[in-house]
Amino acid sequence: MAEMPVKTPNALLHGALDALILRTLAHGPSHGYAIARSIEEKTGEAVVVEEGSLYPALYRMERKGWLEAEWGTSELGRRAKIYRLTDAGRVRLASETDTWRRFAAGVARVLFPQ
Amino acid sequence: MKRSLRSWLWRIPVEREVDEELAFHVEMRTRELTAAGMDPERARALATRRLAALRAVRETCVDIGTKRDRRIRLMQWLEEFRQDVRFAVRQLAAAPAFSLVAVLTLALGIGANSAIFALVDATLLRPLPFPDPDRLVQLWERTDSTSRGSVAPLNAADWDARNHTFDRIGGYIPSVGGMVMAGADGNAETVPRQWVTHGIFDALGLTPVAGRTFQPRDRDERANVVVLSEEFWRARFGGDPAIIGQVLRLDGDPYTVVGVMPREAEIIGRSSIWALFPVGNDPYLRSARFLHVIGRLAPGVTRDAAATDLASIAAAMAAEHPDTNAGRSVSLEPLHEAVVGRDLRVTSLLFLGVVGFVLLICCANVANLLMARATARARELAIRSALGAGRFRVARQLLTESLVLSVAGGLLGLGAGATILATAPSLLPPELLPATMTPAFDARVVVFCAMAAVVVGVVFGLAPVWQSTTTRSARTMASDGRGTTGRGSRLRGLLVAGEVATAVLLLFGAGLLLRTLVAVDTVDRGYRAGSVLTMMVDPLGGRYPTVASLVGFYDELETEIAAVPGVARVGWASTQPMGESSLGDVTYDVVGAPVTDASQRPAADYQVASAGYFDAVDLPIVEGRAFTDHDTETSEAVCLVNEALARRHFPDRSPLGAQLAIRTSSAPDAPVTLRRIVGVARQVKARPDELEPFMQIYVPLGQDPTDDIFVFVRPESGDAGVLAGAVRAAIGRVDRDQLVSVRDVATLGDVATVATSAHRFRAVLVATFAVLALLLAMVGVFGILSYAVQQRLREIAVRRALGATTRDVVVLVVRHAAGVIVAGVVVGLAGAALAGRALAALLFGVRPLDPATFAAVVAALIVTSALAVAGPAWRATRVDPATAFRL
Repeated sequence: MAEMPVKTPNALLHGALDALILRTLAHGPSHGYAIARSIEEKTGEAVVVEEGSLYPALYRMERKGWLEAEWGTSELGRRAKIYRLTDAGRVRLASETDTWRRFAAGVARVLFPQ
Repeated sequence: MKRSLRSWLWRIPVEREVDEELAFHVEMRTRELTAAGMDPERARALATRRLAALRAVRETCVDIGTKRDRRIRLMQWLEEFRQDVRFAVRQLAAAPAFSLVAVLTLALGIGANSAIFALVDATLLRPLPFPDPDRLVQLWERTDSTSRGSVAPLNAADWDARNHTFDRIGGYIPSVGGMVMAGADGNAETVPRQWVTHGIFDALGLTPVAGRTFQPRDRDERANVVVLSEEFWRARFGGDPAIIGQVLRLDGDPYTVVGVMPREAEIIGRSSIWALFPVGNDPYLRSARFLHVIGRLAPGVTRDAAATDLASIAAAMAAEHPDTNAGRSVSLEPLHEAVVGRDLRVTSLLFLGVVGFVLLICCANVANLLMARATARARELAIRSALGAGRFRVARQLLTESLVLSVAGGLLGLGAGATILATAPSLLPPELLPATMTPAFDARVVVFCAMAAVVVGVVFGLAPVWQSTTTRSARTMASDGRGTTGRGSRLRGLLVAGEVATAVLLLFGAGLLLRTLVAVDTVDRGYRAGSVLTMMVDPLGGRYPTVASLVGFYDELETEIAAVPGVARVGWASTQPMGESSLGDVTYDVVGAPVTDASQRPAADYQVASAGYFDAVDLPIVEGRAFTDHDTETSEAVCLVNEALARRHFPDRSPLGAQLAIRTSSAPDAPVTLRRIVGVARQVKARPDELEPFMQIYVPLGQDPTDDIFVFVRPESGDAGVLAGAVRAAIGRVDRDQLVSVRDVATLGDVATVATSAHRFRAVLVATFAVLALLLAMVGVFGILSYAVQQRLREIAVRRALGATTRDVVVLVVRHAAGVIVAGVVVGLAGAALAGRALAALLFGVRPLDPATFAAVVAALIVTSALAVAGPAWRATRVDPATAFRL
């Protein structure tokens, strides 16, 4: 199933899920399921986003003010909670992306020495 | 818009929000699985299991969601508060006159309160500035007649030596005397000196600034040692630590400086030098009770345990020394209570109550202003609530306005309080406030101000809220804004009546205190001379060893002073009327009267006086004769008594010819002098407000001269104060070796003023605030009347058009005012009748229900009310009947 890293309770990897969600929402408002599917598709199913990590992350980020939510209508006409990025969320996305870039580059230098 | 949607979202409980969201997720996945070809039954079963497995996730989300909602609510509240504040500031800026009056009124109230709080804080609330102040107690000798008697030095020493419950017990003589210090440049100066026992500074827990405190060995070696106060050390010796171990010549004798004590030591007396009182084994020190004693309880010992311990010691001492100690025990009092004293405690609380009332009046005035405004703004508020602003929201808006006002008033008040405190110490009578208790402007006062501002803002803010949130919107909008809201004006009438009542209460209190001041200022002091110069003349010990030489010296001085141009009379005495007694009390028996028990002997002030004294201060001799130059060492021992003593012992016969057996102490072996009474002097006062008549025995200077004596100089005419320089110069001509200390130069008028200063301070302060309260209350009366006239212009115009005379219109306005004022006065006087009793402790020469004060207060009210009513009434009479028909 999923690659182990996403499930590791490590602050940095925690941040990775946050970054993925923020990045997804940067394209436009979306509900939880659509966010999960979008991440799975874009990572070529390499990252599987489970409800168990997705929703706590969404609530946490909403609490911190990076996201805000309102009730809207899903593609299928059902009532759904739609998340959107706030300005604070955009700032957070930039810093998370930067952190992740440096982390990935560091890991890459070790794993794939030139 | 975003906000309204979000607020709609909040209405869903967070549990339902999470459930719905998770269910949606699972359903979407099921749908997708079905679409991918999975059997729908199986997909649904999978989904159900999935949901059950998500229970923990649900809990986490609900938890975070709850916190999220709390945060959002807080943010929204803050946002609204910010908006309200901005709106309030705009509103207040738009009405600058109103805002200025309101803020200044509040600043006045809060400023006065903060200054008085600082006083109360310094005296009553703050612990004494010593380590573990709870362990400090004042110890007194207790007898059947008093629980706060001074202590005999040997008793204090025994308490210290035998107890198991104290770390240290030490004593001091409460009065501060003077010592002549010889300077390096040959100029002598008189320095305040106080006698203490060796344990006093250790009992207080003081750490010397330099050197050490007194130790038991100082007492054992009977060493001539002193410690200096820090202030004196810095001012006189530049704070040089090398002073420790050096020798000072004091009163001609060498004393070694062993330490410097911090400022806190002055709690026992405002002295510059503390000298060790030599407690030897002289039995006189068992019966002469003049020490005040402070003890430091050992850690963990309760006052009760210490009292029990000392009681058993006192019982043992009573058995060992039955003559002096029978029936004597010990009482303990927390030092803080002993230091603050009843007078200061009552004064502080009195002031706090007075300024608290003034603040209430300030609040009522501002509340009135706000309510008048709220009525004027009724339409605005009605429109806002019609547009959907909730009642609660409008209330919050109004309260925010009040708070902005009160915070502005509080900030200004802080400045006012700081200014008052900067100037106050010079106004405080020094003997009212112990040395270590100085009102200071610090963080505690700032916190008090902040709290006062918030409480005040809410208190006066509630009135307009209550008024405006209960008016009917539709009616208010429909009206043309000229209608009064009955409920609001009734509430405002009540507020103003309350202000009047409070002002009446304060005026009454001020009246009683002023009458007390007049009573103590005009009390019959006994002597009749208008202006008399007095100063203490203190030849150094040993300079005039014999009675003859000392008397000769005084005679020489008297001749020299009498020769000064402008001097009419010169006399000598050891007690100042209304001032200090340098010799203190003696006990006596009337020879031939039934013998009294040693511990019950009467006591009287013992005063040495010259033949010229009675003439110098014009103190009449009511019976018998005054002293003459023939009352000398070799003639019969005689004395004069005053009227109180004569009344007590000779109620129905003349005291002339009777003999008194006078003892310097109650010790059985104390020397007894028999003196024949040759005259009765008119009663003089020791204190202006003494309740029991002061008993006095006068002894001729020629028979018992003392070296602590006051000279009294009466001028031929005019103010005696101008003679001071010439009299000092005359003393200097006789005292060529500069071995006489001259100090405490004052007129008898100054001495009396000092004696009444606490009364003066209280009366002036309370009267100031009472006048302020009256002014504020009358501003309140003026305010509601002018407002009422303004609101009823049309009605008045109609009345005038229908034939009402000017008199009718005035009556209309006056009747409106009269109700409010009369109600206020009645309630205020009722309160005053109750409060008068509480003041009784501070009153003298006036009864708490003094009818004259009642009458004066009512008269003051009538006059000031007339002034407050005049303006609005005049305005009402000027209403043009034509306005009735202008629509």
